[in-house]
Parts: sequence; structure tokens; C-alpha cells
Amino acid sequence: MTRLLVILVLWLMLPILVENVVYHHINNTLLEKKKKFIEHLNKEEINDFIENPDDSTDAFSEFSTLHSEFLVLSRVSIKPHQKKTTFSNEYRKIEGEESEYRILQHYFTYDGVDYQLEIGSSLSEVNDLTFVIKLFIIIVFVIILLITFLADTFYIEYLLKPFYKIIDTKIRRVNEPETFDHTPIKATSRDFRELDFVLNQMMDRITEVFKKEKQFISNVSHELLTPIALLKNKLENLLQNQSLDDNAVDKIAGSLKTLDMLKKIINNLLLISRIDNNQYELNEEINLREIVSDLQEDLQDRIEDKDIQFMNEMENDFVFIGNKTLVHILIYNLVTNAIKYNKPKGGIIIEDGFADEHYFISVKDSGIGMDESQLEKIFTRFARISSDQEGQGLGLAIAQSIASFHHIQIKVKSVLNQGTTFTLLFEKAN
Amino acid sequence: MNVLIVEDNKELAVEVYDFLCNAGYICKIANNCADALEEFGSNDYDAMLLDLGLPDGDGFEVLRAIRKTKSKIAVIVLTARGELDDRINGLHLGADDYLTKPFALTELGARLFAVIRRIHGFTLNNLSIHGFLLQLQDYKVSFDEIPLSLTKKEFDIFQYLVLNKNRVITRLQLTEHIWGDILEVNSDSNFIDVHVRNLRKKLDKHTSIDWFETVRNVGYRINE
Repeated sequence: MTRLLVILVLWLMLPILVENVVYHHINNTLLEKKKKFIEHLNKEEINDFIENPDDSTDAFSEFSTLHSEFLVLSRVSIKPHQKKTTFSNEYRKIEGEESEYRILQHYFTYDGVDYQLEIGSSLSEVNDLTFVIKLFIIIVFVIILLITFLADTFYIEYLLKPFYKIIDTKIRRVNEPETFDHTPIKATSRDFRELDFVLNQMMDRITEVFKKEKQFISNVSHELLTPIALLKNKLENLLQNQSLDDNAVDKIAGSLKTLDMLKKIINNLLLISRIDNNQYELNEEINLREIVSDLQEDLQDRIEDKDIQFMNEMENDFVFIGNKTLVHILIYNLVTNAIKYNKPKGGIIIEDGFADEHYFISVKDSGIGMDESQLEKIFTRFARISSDQEGQGLGLAIAQSIASFHHIQIKVKSVLNQGTTFTLLFEKAN
Repeated sequence: MNVLIVEDNKELAVEVYDFLCNAGYICKIANNCADALEEFGSNDYDAMLLDLGLPDGDGFEVLRAIRKTKSKIAVIVLTARGELDDRINGLHLGADDYLTKPFALTELGARLFAVIRRIHGFTLNNLSIHGFLLQLQDYKVSFDEIPLSLTKKEFDIFQYLVLNKNRVITRLQLTEHIWGDILEVNSDSNFIDVHVRNLRKKLDKHTSIDWFETVRNVGYRINE
């Protein structure tokens, strides 16, 4: 693009430059001729020139055979502020043939008489020359364009081959450090080998960090959850003691509840970090309709408990590849939210369909809804809609993690006191 | 009932998983020792099917670690090795039973059931409590040979409370063992009360059920 622009500018500029040079050159020769003519001038000659017996006019003219040059000397009266020497381009008719001339007009006084001297030089040759130069320039530019284009293609195709190979195999295709290909890329230039080497090194470090994080997650779960399980067992055994008074029983029950909450928070956080750490495989065929009907069965008790009308209006058997456990959790979290934040005797509608290159499934509730400021932070961890609601606000953070892990978009629409709709958009290509 | 399937062969694991889910168990799969111990530590399991040859170690290590805790979990060792030493070793380390691969899923189901029953101190497949007879394998309950019509959930609750008779079972325990591992934090467990209420109504028609106690704020207990 820039190359074309440069050529265009040059192409417009060059003829003007050429013209200037040519005019300058012609002007100089004309001045030279004038100088010679005036130096050799004397009275007789003027008279010879002007008072030619064959000519009745007060002027003398002379031209070369091919009309490429002419000279005219005539007697005139000089105006007071007349410039002495001027150059101009004019058309002149010489012996019935009109063409463009570069003309020098010179006024001078000789022996008390004023004369005007005009010397002209034909421009037709010059114009021809400019045309030839323009043509030549175009041809040269076309050749340059072709050469640079070919050179570029060669450069990219051949010399940069290792570069694109590195980008493709080492960077773009790597979703997980563990799948990184450490085989060195063949490259003729040292720079690319260096780049490849440094990339490998960087990837090794990242892999190390990933491994450590996985190890950490596994340690955390083991080290934190085991004592929780232990405590839980102890408290449950303590509850069996018949001599406990009501107050003690209440306290133990309260502690068990807190422990259960703690366990679930840890499990949820672990789930999120495992998803974000790519520790799940996406290799199962998932039928969303099946998942929704399974869920409906699982959640029947809670739906009935709140007297909610649950309508499953799914019509498509959309199948995609993903992780069944995770997708189950994703839909589960959306539906349990719809139950939890619903009004008694409210409704939940699950619909699906195709729109704008996407398959979508939406979970619509007639619940308490949310305002804009609440909507903004629903996917943030530990952000609850209101303080009096149960739950720890991890459900939607998990939903978000699972969705992005599967390249599913989540859209939310909500009207305060009317309800919320969560929509999942799937790539149709899946 | 929660069952942990520890098996590195994913195909076999899924096959067992599907079979046991159909039989009414709540299952999870772990593919290696680390996952198995992690799952064991984080959830309350009633039984574990343990493969011996795991990618990151020996199944015996898992067994040893489990038996160090006070957990009453039933463990069935699955072994492809079939060697006498392995079987004896497994039983010595605290396995409740073993199965040699390849095994029939129906046999696995029967053994699993027997092991769980034994752990809770019952020897027959039919539990009887205050005149009610629970036929565990058919999900049937009768009183004086008059059948009761219970829903699946009501049966599960009744069975779990009878298996753990004389113990207070919290609502949380019931949800975990009958509805499975609910990830949701602080999910309300009111729906359990609804099922228990219905169950008690059905039982009450036949005889007085003052042995079916509600422990205020905590849960339930069936006394023998």
C-alpha cells in the first residue's frame, strides 16, 4: 500500500521536475544565443536585417529549416517599466505551421532606437521527450513493483517459514502447557532458532508453574477436606450421646452446618480452579435435553417444595462435545438459582432454539429479578444478590468458568421483581 | 448410598458407574490413587470399589490409608491379578470382599449390597423393624404382609434410617446419601422434611411409630 503511494507521488512529481530541468536548460541556450546576437550587432546589420528590400514590415525574422528555432528583431517603443528579459510559452505560426515555442523576449536600445528581440525554441521535441520519460518511468515502476512483490513473497514463504511454524505449532495450538511440542523447529537463521529455544524455555517454566498449581490444588483439597471429614465424623458421633441437652444438640447441629458449608465452599473453589486450570477433558457427547430432564427429576422435590411450575419446552436434540459432569453442574446451577430466587408459586421456563448462527438454551424464571448494579457483579465470586439470601454466591462464578471452558456465552436479562433469564449460546459448528 | 469407583480403565469405570446408578446408588469415579484419597477425604462414602493396579500407585496404599481413619466405608477390591497373595493381602488390609476381573456386573451388585448390609450389622436382605419388613433388593416395604406404597425417596430414607438405627441422622447426612453431593452451598433441605412427613404418615396408618423420632433442628432417628 505504502509502496503504491510512493510510486504515485513520484509519478506525479517526476514530469514536473523534468519539465523544470528542461526549461532551465532551454532558457540558458536562449540567453546564450541572445548574448551572441547582441554582441555581434552593428548598425549596418540592423539595417540589413530590418530594411530588407523584400520586406515591407519593420521587423526581421529568421528561422531554421525545420522550424525548431526562430529569431525576430523588430523596432518598438519601450514602455517605461517594461521588464528587460522575459520567458514565456506561446504558440506561433511559422509558414502556416503552428507549434508551441519557448520564447525569450528581450528589449534593448541601440543607437537611440528601441528594439525588441524574440528568440524561440520549439517545445514539440521537449513534449515528446517528457512523454517518453513518463512512459519509461511507468515501465520502471511496474518492474520495481513486480520485483518487490516477488521478493516479499519469497521472503515470507521461504525465509519466514520457521517463524510462522513457530507461531503455529508452539503458540497458537497450545492450549495447555502439557501438550506443548518441544521438538526444535528447523530454521536456517540463527534468530529463529534462538526464538524457538527461548519459547521452549518459557514453556518449560510455565509447565512447571502449572504442575505446581495442580499439586497445590490437590494438596489443599486433601489437607483441608480430610480434617473437615474427621470433625464431621466426631460431631456426628457426639450427637448420638443421649444425655446431651437441647442446647448442646443445637450447637452441635449448628457446627455441622457450618462444617458442611465450609466443605462445599472448598469444593466449589477447587472446582473453579480445576476448570480454570484445564484439568477436565472435553471428550463426551452431551445431549442437553437429557441433562435437563435428568435435572428436572433430581430437583423435583425442591420445585414442588416451592410450588413452582416448571415447564420444559425444549424442542431440539442438540448434541455437542464437552464435559458432561461440568455441563450438568452449569445447567444445575442456573436452574437451582431460578428455584432459589423464585417467588412461591412462580414459574420456570426452559426453552431452546436456533438464532444468529447459535444454538441457545434459556432458563427463565418469574423470580425477584435484579437491577443493573446487581447484574454487573453476579458472576463475581462471593457476590450475593442480597445479604438475606442463602448461598455463598459461587454458583454463577462456577457457571461462568464452565461456560468459558466450553466456549459457551452466557447472557443475562433481568427485570426487578419480574424475573431473570439466563441464556447460553453455543457455537453451531459444535 | 454413595459409592466411589476407583478404576483407571475408563470404559470399565463408566460401565460399572452406569450399572450402579441404575441400581439406585450415587456414584463417583476416581481414576488414580490421588483422586481416590481426595474424594474419600472430601465426601462421605458408603462403599468403595478399588482396583489394585492404578497409574500412580498400588490400590493397597489407598486401602491402607483408608483403614487408618475411623471410616466405616465398605471396600471391595477389584483385581485382575487373581493371585491368592493379592486377595489375602487385600482382606488382611481391611477389604470387605474381592472380585476378580472379569466379573459380572450382577455379581458386583450383589456383593456390594451384601457388604453394605453386613457393615450395618444386618445379615439378611430383608430388614425388619417394629413389624415393618424392608425387602432391600426389590424396594418393597410391607407390614404384616400388607404392602405399603412408598416412593423411591421415601424408601431410601426409611432404608438409610433403618440401616443406621439408633443413631441420629442429620438432614445433611440424608441429603448427601440420598440426593447426592449437592455442590450448592447452604441449599435449604426443607424438601427432606416433606418426604419424611409423608413417610411417617404412611407408616402411622399401620402402627404407632413413636420409635421414629424427630430430633429437633438436627434430623431423625429410628430406635429399635
